[in-house]
Amino acid sequence: MAQVTRFKQRGWIGTILLLEIAKGMALTLKKLFSRSVTRQYPVERPSIALGFRGQHALVRNPDTGESLCVACMRCATVCPSKCIHITYHQDPETRKRIVDTYEIEALRCIYCGYCEEVCPVNAVVLTEVYEYASYDRPSVYYDKDRLLSNWDRFLGESGRDPKTYVNPFWRPRGADERTLPAKKRLPVPEEWTLEGQAKGIPLPVAASHGSHGGAH
Amino acid sequence: MDTTRMKPVLEEEGELFTLQMGPQHPATHGVLKLDLELDGETVVRCRPVVGFLHRGVEKLAENMTYAQSMPLTDRLDYISAMANNVGHTVAVETLLGIEPPIRAKYIRTMVCEMSRISSHLLWLATHALDIGAMTVFLYCFREREWILDLFEELCGARLTTSYTRIGGVRQDVTGHFLESLLRFTDEFPEKVHEYETLIDTNRIWLDRTQGIGVLTAEEAVQLGLTGPSLRGSGVDYDIRKHRPYDAYPYLDFQVPLGTHGDVYDRYRCRMEEFHQSNHLIRQCIEKLPSGPILSEDAPDLVMDPRPKCVTADASLSAGLIKIIEERKHFMEGDVYVSTEVPKGELGFYFVSDGRGIPMRMHIRSPSYIHIGSLPALCEGGMISDVIANIGSLDVVLGECDR
Repeated sequence: MAQVTRFKQRGWIGTILLLEIAKGMALTLKKLFSRSVTRQYPVERPSIALGFRGQHALVRNPDTGESLCVACMRCATVCPSKCIHITYHQDPETRKRIVDTYEIEALRCIYCGYCEEVCPVNAVVLTEVYEYASYDRPSVYYDKDRLLSNWDRFLGESGRDPKTYVNPFWRPRGADERTLPAKKRLPVPEEWTLEGQAKGIPLPVAASHGSHGGAH
Repeated sequence: MDTTRMKPVLEEEGELFTLQMGPQHPATHGVLKLDLELDGETVVRCRPVVGFLHRGVEKLAENMTYAQSMPLTDRLDYISAMANNVGHTVAVETLLGIEPPIRAKYIRTMVCEMSRISSHLLWLATHALDIGAMTVFLYCFREREWILDLFEELCGARLTTSYTRIGGVRQDVTGHFLESLLRFTDEFPEKVHEYETLIDTNRIWLDRTQGIGVLTAEEAVQLGLTGPSLRGSGVDYDIRKHRPYDAYPYLDFQVPLGTHGDVYDRYRCRMEEFHQSNHLIRQCIEKLPSGPILSEDAPDLVMDPRPKCVTADASLSAGLIKIIEERKHFMEGDVYVSTEVPKGELGFYFVSDGRGIPMRMHIRSPSYIHIGSLPALCEGGMISDVIANIGSLDVVLGECDR
């Protein structure tokens, strides 16, 4: 248990010459000539990480142009804020469920990403699009067509290939393949698998032991 | 009377000036309201009024599964969401009897310490800004941005992380993440030195903090303070040391303690915690073991409270989706588990009646209890020191009102 250091009383020279204030001013003067860290936002864009939880979208099946959703209702069940509303009917011949409406209230959503994680067919996704503020509520109440067009917007803006794009929540990094449904066992980078996972980085000996406590 | 001139006019007339400080006051860090009764510039009576940010998190959690209530904890102490996630998950795991894998424990400890650094950075920034040091504010946000970018890379969100999962974590770390984090820890002690250069010995800072808001060790314990606010008074109490959870038992760190119990000592304690957290993160990066990040016993994310009549056969489970009978996890009973978040001791108390959703979730939030100590700190002091005292307790109203 380390005692914290308290500032020692300064001497009379320091008091008269404002030494500690001069030191602080010297630091700020030095920073004046260092590289700016401010990002001029609308002009300079931040780089958004893969798997950023932004605007909602329904993945468009490249072959049929329709949604992949099979109306299993897992996303609507797991959603903590109950912002997903799905209605469906059953095809009398094929016994398949057909989605009638799929709605997401973006204003209720808390962006936890549970829906994309539980979806067995990777149909719903939180894209990397983050600029979708709006002046009215109806335009952020997404219906199925809007969600599909969100997917198109995302592909257009990010330039990602819909055939190879894998969201980290569809197939969680470090997840055991055997525990995933068949559609979620996507080809992923080596690093995402259990075998190729990132290892600890050995540190230089001097830095790895001994406390930094009390360092000034 | 010959002493008339010594007394302030108001007191002589038996009148005190009532000042309603907040809830829109920027220096109260949110929506804290203080009813102050002033005699001149001296605070005679201080009454905190809380509840402006009440969202009913505890009640909301009663209608949700354990997995669903985890994202709510992001919104308690919204500047250290990771630590709240871990606190909630550790409590639920204790209730359900699940042991997370060792790799998940290390990752959780790592992100906890990252959130401690980012929380203390925001505290230092605003505390210094309240007292009048503008430059530190900007410097702190520079480093905080770095940590938030790392969070974004790890879990897809900067503030509302929702990162843990019952029985582990949701995403594994990548090599790029570990390297960036290591680079951060290499450079961070230098940055702390910059903040210290600016304010540590600055005479205005010393005048505003030394000898202000003094709490003896006994008083601090009686008021129920925890975390750096308690350790500033010299009480050696840290849950990471005394009831270790996750990977803390395997790691080496020290608990900084103050001596005088004033605003300056609480400030020094948190500055030392920067170094300790940095040291902890480096140890986690170095020792990070290989293995799964999610326990095999972990319940499905859709913790359907309805009973399932499917039982798993161990011989069949290889290659198949493992089906577990969800209901067996939801044992009856109650549990209180506390973790050390940047503000202090965050405790979760769950009462389970076996339905799969908590019958009661109570949150022991450090900020609520810390605000209760404001009268003891402020009464008898000057009105300008009220701001310094609020800052030194590091309260977040989202957690206080919850």
